[in-house]
Amino acid sequence: MQHKFSQKRIESIMTSLGGIQPAVAPDFFYTRLKGKMQPAAEKKTIFLLRPAFVTATLAVLFIVNVISLLQTDKAAKPDSTAVYNINSKPATIESFAAAYNMNNTSVYE
Amino acid sequence: MTEQELLFGLRHGEESAFKELVTRFQDKVFNTALGLLQHHTEAEDIAQEVFIQVYRSIQNFKGESLLSTWIYRITVTKSLDHLRSKKRKKRFGFLSSLFGDNNIPLYEPEDFNHPGVLQEKKEDAAILFKVIDLLPENQRTAFILNKVEDLSYREIAAILNTTESAVDSLLQRAKGNLRKKLNELPP
Repeated sequence: MQHKFSQKRIESIMTSLGGIQPAVAPDFFYTRLKGKMQPAAEKKTIFLLRPAFVTATLAVLFIVNVISLLQTDKAAKPDSTAVYNINSKPATIESFAAAYNMNNTSVYE
Repeated sequence: MTEQELLFGLRHGEESAFKELVTRFQDKVFNTALGLLQHHTEAEDIAQEVFIQVYRSIQNFKGESLLSTWIYRITVTKSLDHLRSKKRKKRFGFLSSLFGDNNIPLYEPEDFNHPGVLQEKKEDAAILFKVIDLLPENQRTAFILNKVEDLSYREIAAILNTTESAVDSLLQRAKGNLRKKLNELPP
């Protein structure tokens, strides 16, 4: 069977790491390392500024606003099906003041 | 700065101590990672991860071994983990190429040239690194630590948490396997 390398070449390959000099870390290694080690707090802030997070937050706020507007609108409309109660009075400023004991009384009385 | 002073500074979060540690070990860590990974950018990434790990877990270092042994151990573990994950991706890449439109493999390994190899031996060293890549993990680690990082049997035994005779055995088997693989290469 024929081989790619002769025994002499294999010996040469096997000893090819003789006299090897150690590789040196790239320039600015420490600076890059410090950049990678940025504090977790900073990362958290960056996360909060991510477009996806900002868009999602705004979307949620928009939906909440729409829902609350619809609810308010529904509550403000007079209920045509409701039976009129003769005892119920329309809310006036006077009745509101009376309910909260805010009648116009003077301390001199 | 002595090792004790360095450790004291690191445990108290002193930046000057960390900078001293990086300056002292960056070449050793990078050279070991480069030998194992055979890729400059990946070796730099792993070297950075090693120092981050050292910074975060310095409180767990009990001083039962030398600081250098502990750092080498982290380097070897991280490099081998990275190689395993790369192999998984390689397998996935092969599958993708099987099912993809073209049959070009996604991960074509390039010849690795270690910057410290003598000019006249570069071609042979590139072939040797190619077959080193085929060795089992423990043999490859022992071989790289011995031949590339020039560590003694005692130092390698401490890093691999084994005996010197076991390291000798690993190196003999590694050399035997390398010769065998070089013989088996087709013409």
